Amino acid sequence: MIKRVEINYRGIFQKNLAKKIGGDIVMIAARMGQVGFSNGRYSDAPERNGIPCKYFAFVSPDLSEEELEAECGAKLDIDEANISVVLDDTMVKGVEPWAWHGVRPINEKVVPYGHMLIVSRRRPEELVRFMARKPYPYYLALLEGDASFAGLWVYRDDLTHERVLGAIAALDPQLLSIEAVKGYLWDKTHEEHRVEAAQKAFESVRHNIHEVTPLQGIDWPYEIPKLPKWHEFSEGVVVKAVPREFHLGPKGQSRNQLFKRGTTKSQRPVVRFDLCTKCTLCWLECPDQCFDPTPDGYYDIDYEYCVGCGKCAEVCPVQECIVMVDELAFEDNRSPWEHWKRDPEGYVRWAEEKKGKHRVLPNVVTGTGERVVEVEPVPVGGKPKPAARAGA
Amino acid sequence: MATADKVLVYDRIKGVKQIPLEEFYTSGHRTCQGCESATVMRQFIKAAGPRTVVAGSTGCMYVANTSYMTTPWIVPWMHTQLGAGGSSAVGMAAGLRALMRKNRIPQEKINVISFCGDLGGGDMGLSGISGALQTDYDLLIIMYDNESAANTDIQATGLTTWGAQTTFSPVGKVERIMHRRWKKNVAAMLAVGHPNCRYVATACATYPPVDFLNKVRKALSIGGPTFIHTYDPCPKGWDFHPRYSHELGELGVRSGLLPLYEIIDGQVVYTYDARKTGKGRIPVREYLTKQGRFAHLTEEDIAYIQRMVDEMWDEWEVPGVAPFRGTLKVSA
Repeated sequence: MIKRVEINYRGIFQKNLAKKIGGDIVMIAARMGQVGFSNGRYSDAPERNGIPCKYFAFVSPDLSEEELEAECGAKLDIDEANISVVLDDTMVKGVEPWAWHGVRPINEKVVPYGHMLIVSRRRPEELVRFMARKPYPYYLALLEGDASFAGLWVYRDDLTHERVLGAIAALDPQLLSIEAVKGYLWDKTHEEHRVEAAQKAFESVRHNIHEVTPLQGIDWPYEIPKLPKWHEFSEGVVVKAVPREFHLGPKGQSRNQLFKRGTTKSQRPVVRFDLCTKCTLCWLECPDQCFDPTPDGYYDIDYEYCVGCGKCAEVCPVQECIVMVDELAFEDNRSPWEHWKRDPEGYVRWAEEKKGKHRVLPNVVTGTGERVVEVEPVPVGGKPKPAARAGA
Repeated sequence: MATADKVLVYDRIKGVKQIPLEEFYTSGHRTCQGCESATVMRQFIKAAGPRTVVAGSTGCMYVANTSYMTTPWIVPWMHTQLGAGGSSAVGMAAGLRALMRKNRIPQEKINVISFCGDLGGGDMGLSGISGALQTDYDLLIIMYDNESAANTDIQATGLTTWGAQTTFSPVGKVERIMHRRWKKNVAAMLAVGHPNCRYVATACATYPPVDFLNKVRKALSIGGPTFIHTYDPCPKGWDFHPRYSHELGELGVRSGLLPLYEIIDGQVVYTYDARKTGKGRIPVREYLTKQGRFAHLTEEDIAYIQRMVDEMWDEWEVPGVAPFRGTLKVSA
């Protein structure tokens, strides 16, 4: 018997974290007399900031190391997961790590009565409303917390690592027992607060497990592309260029249809067109070309391609004009400019409701914290004010 | 320095409002959030226009831009080997010239651009680029420099800044600084050694605005082989939040650590004059403390980098460009 754990994480930002969790599952399982093996999904490398990635841990009570490795070592992706950990809750909207993969449901690999463990501060129904309907029941467990983001070099030691291990023990004591988790953490660090964090997560997650029935979830709206066969490729290694096409207006620029990568974002920019001074900077600085110039001189956003880097919000010279908002606040990818044109006042009301009153400004070095400031919304017809620059 | 006796005629973009709206490097590439190198790709092809052929050496901008048999390029683009940035450009330019001479394709100006990363261009492909700059073909080589082999998760190259953490130079308990090489001065090196090359420049894709686009236009208009070195802040390898990639480029330039200049027919024109007599410079601390790769630096290290930058602008014969200093007196 093999138990498979997959850890869904945001590329680079959570790379070190996912690797630590995967590796430690193997070490702890070994303390319990089991055999374990862990690796990363091959095609995720080279990793890019924000792109959904996976790390795996395989544990077996009865197979030998060689048998386990032969079974699990050489696969591109796993077919089923007993436990699927999600380290950033915005990934419930679907994941598309590379071209020809399609936007796939985050719960795609979960087995009947298997577990999804999501790090989130949201209620279960707020997450399930984005997830695909499964033909069988499974469990959704929530570990309360924010997504832990860090860079490659500065690790963010916010105990997410220890808490996830404790939470896994709450879901499947045969895989990892909480005693073994605590014993391992103590032996490794001799730090009481790490052991405590695992124990607390273990207790809280035990009371935060919800059954998801086949009636819950949505019919998955994205098509999974069919890979071309070898004989369907053109001669040599030739890829068709994107056809040249451009006109003013939403989606006026031709784009790579086979890789939309919008699932990279955990935040999206919300624009107050009524404050915009048409300075062009958001459009000019966007590394993903997702701004579409409109006939009246504004810049619409194609959210299917936006990766949520936040550069537009940073370079925008007008206060409150472009603001980054949690991706889970949005249901669709419709054009914000068309929405605004149709109903200018309704759009501003909608935008301000999504934005709320708090602005989170991350520190420049990734994962070293952020500033949260409260702001007063600018009323319709309000005078555009210059924005404060955080970095330079 | 620059004198007014020669005039370079080119189609100048006078402001952001004049930048062409159409993209020839479009959305749907597998780059990082806030990738500045993707901005370099987008802007050079915007400046060059649709009648352009592009070759790309192995590196981030090859791998990220060809996710499983798809491409964001609208113009013809070809992958070439890691060290072949120069030779591929020569090959394409020579091919086009031969086809036009034999009337197989109509006579017209087709831009030839080859890009390479700092490892591909500054270290491995340097001889090929040097060879290309000695020819008489019209071609432009762009080296996008994110100061590491960023595609394979950040290994040090000859262009990594002194003291930076990379997977080749991890911070240890015994040795704090593992990367002790000073950044290789590629643009000036190429300008000094290649009299055929009439235009060499350094640039930052987004600071000052429009500057990089105009540098590409100048390089493509002046004729012969040309070279542009761009400084691209890399959120992945430099470890800063993708939101601030414009800021980091701006800070690097204003601190004098990343000098911006053009060398046109042997004349130096500063884009950002960081000398005290010019625009001056901000302390390098402003730039260094905003990156996780420098998180281990001490006050002493920062002071050392500051000293090196001051020397570069205050004492070099050609400030910020060429590290020659007066005449050395040698006793017999």
